[in-house]
Order: sequence, then structure tokens, then C-alpha cells
Amino acid sequence: MIEGMHLTPIGDGNVLLEPGEGLDPSQPEALLAPVLEFLQRNEARRLVYDLKNVRLIDSVYYAWLVKLSAACRIANVEMVTVNMQPAAAYALSLTLDKSPPFTCVLDIHQLR
Amino acid sequence: MAKEMSQEKTTNQILIEQLMQNVGKISGVIEKQGQSIFGQKNLLSNNEINDYSLEFLELLTMLLHAGDKVDRRGPEYKALRQFFGNFSQQIQVRGGNMDEFVRYIHFLQGVFLDNLEADKSVNFVKAREILLLLGMIFNDIILDVFHIYLEGKEKTIQAQQEELRQTSTPITEIWDGVLTLPIIGSLDSSRTMIVMEKLLSRIESDRARVVVIDVTGVMAIDSQVSHHLIQMIRAVGLMGADAILTGIRPEIARALTSLNIDLSSVTTRSKLSEGLKEAFRRMSIEVSRPGR
Repeated sequence: MIEGMHLTPIGDGNVLLEPGEGLDPSQPEALLAPVLEFLQRNEARRLVYDLKNVRLIDSVYYAWLVKLSAACRIANVEMVTVNMQPAAAYALSLTLDKSPPFTCVLDIHQLR
Repeated sequence: MAKEMSQEKTTNQILIEQLMQNVGKISGVIEKQGQSIFGQKNLLSNNEINDYSLEFLELLTMLLHAGDKVDRRGPEYKALRQFFGNFSQQIQVRGGNMDEFVRYIHFLQGVFLDNLEADKSVNFVKAREILLLLGMIFNDIILDVFHIYLEGKEKTIQAQQEELRQTSTPITEIWDGVLTLPIIGSLDSSRTMIVMEKLLSRIESDRARVVVIDVTGVMAIDSQVSHHLIQMIRAVGLMGADAILTGIRPEIARALTSLNIDLSSVTTRSKLSEGLKEAFRRMSIEVSRPGR
């Protein structure tokens, strides 16, 4: 059990990450190791980060996502975000000057 | 003796006296002129014109009775201005012309000036004071009417602009999971915000996988517009959909090149039809003629 998130293996090498209210994106270092440990223990090939309940992705939250995707890449795990909310996508697009380093997919059913 | 008495009277008192002595004549003339202006175009019925004329005279009398001098901040003055404000709004709502309304107000002023001219007991100094007073009252009224007219026009323009914005971004689901967005005109920040808001919501509600943005109708492009376009494409990507940009005319392409805008990360196609083909290809949809 990692504080602030719920990790569930959903089959076919996919692990679903559902962030909760207690997630503190300003402390990524404390979260990366336990997440990677879970992914390796479950032989994950892909981390599916569910953004359904994330209303706003600010620079701190975006930095957390970037760090997590970089850590996943090192562990040979692809990170994919799903269910990004329109308002969050709009706000984030205003701050980005390049595409994010992770894949974005509309929902979990569209994972290829 | 009578001359001395009139000299002691205030401007307001002289006007009230003139009004009382000639009320029948004044109201008759005003009603006749009102019918000539507003009646011919069916802007107001005869009863309405008569009611307005009487109300105006009542409010003016109340204003003159309120004190020795007209108080521009007093409730009577506000009531008179409010009356003309409502009157002009009604004329405007019914399709009336503000020029005619202003001429009507000038005419009302003219009626009082005619009365003043006919009254030989009023000396030059008082006549001048009355003239200034009438000028002030009617100028304020004309200014109020002008402001109301401008406000009305501004509201109409804003409503039309809003309607135009809403109708100029017709997002259509042309196929299951494929949205098209033809952009016509220019993209400024406020329009981009509206378009993006609508587009992202549609991606979510329609579960769209590909969005074809067609800019055939964009006549000119500058760095701001291209920045907005890239922003829009990035937001579409963040939602998990693919964006295809179509209809970039040669002059737009040339402008983008000279602006050093990098569209290398954006999928582009020459025409909307080519964009649709690419969308179908990405979704593994094959469109073929029957029998082939």
C-alpha cells in the first residue's frame, strides 16, 4: 500500500495507478521507489495513470508525472495517462512548450 | 408694476406660470408632433403618445416646483431623465430611429422657447436664465438617450459576436470517433479559449480518437494564431486523441515558414478529405465502393 495512490494489476502486463486525495506530488522522490518496486514485482510492461479525478495539472503535478515516466522508462515500463479531463488538458496545454514525455490516451479501453 | 413683479420671480416660477397658462396648447402641440413622428411608423399608439406627453409635463412641473433652482441631483430630475430613458428604450425596442427621437426632444425644447418668446413680460436676463436652464435639462436628456442608445447597440454587437463565435466553430462527428473542426476567420485568444473548451468537451463526450482541424477558412496567420493552433493540437493530444491539421494554403505555409513556426510534430494534410483518409487509416477503417 503506497500512501496517496492505489495500484492494481489489470492484466496483460498493465498496472493501473489511481491517485487519491492523499497524494503529495511535491515529494516525488518518496513515491518513485515504492511504485517501481510494485511494477517490477508484478512484471509490469505498462503503467496506466488514471487522471479521472485530477481536476488540475499544475507545474508541480506535471513535474511529478514527468519524473514518474522517466523512472518507468528506466525500468522498461511504458507510462500512459488516461482520462485527462478537458479543463486539465486545456490548462496544461497553456503551460507546455513541447509534448509530454509520456503517452496520453483517452480512456483505458483505447490502450493498444 | 407687473414688470417689477415678474423680475422678482425665479426662473422656475416663470416657467411654471407659462406652463400653467398654456398647458392645453403645449400638450396639444406636443401630442400632434409626437403623432407625426411616432404615430406614422406605428411606434406608439395615440393613447401612448398622449400619456407620454402628459407624463412629461407632470414631471417637468414637479421638477420646477421642487425648489427655486433645478437640482440636477434631486429625485425629480432623476425621474425626468429616467422617464426619457424608458421612453427612448421603448422606441428603440420597437425599431424606432434615435435621430427622430432626438428631433422630438429638440421640438419639446422649441415649444418652451416659443412660449418664452411670446411672453413679453420676461426681461432679457430672465430669458437668458430660462434659455440656459432649458438647454441644460434637454441636453442632459439627449445625452442620456444617446448613452442608452449606445449601450443597446453595444449589447447587440456583443450578442452577435457571441452568436458568431458559437456558430463559427461547428464541431461535427463525421464518423464514430472522428471529429472535424473547420476554423473560419481568425483565431484570437478569446476565440481559441471557446473553441478549445468546446472541442475538448466533445472529445470526452464522443470518445473521439482523431480530430481533423481544417484551416482552409483561415485567411491570415500570424505568430499568435499559429501559437494558438499548436496549443489546441497539444491539448487534443493530452486528451489522448490525435490531431490532423488540414487545409494549409500556400500563403499560410509561407507565412508559417517566415515566422519560424515548427509544425514538424503536427500531422498535416493538404485537404480535409486527405485528413479524413488519414484519420480512417489510423483507426483501421477502410472505405471502399460496393462491389470492389
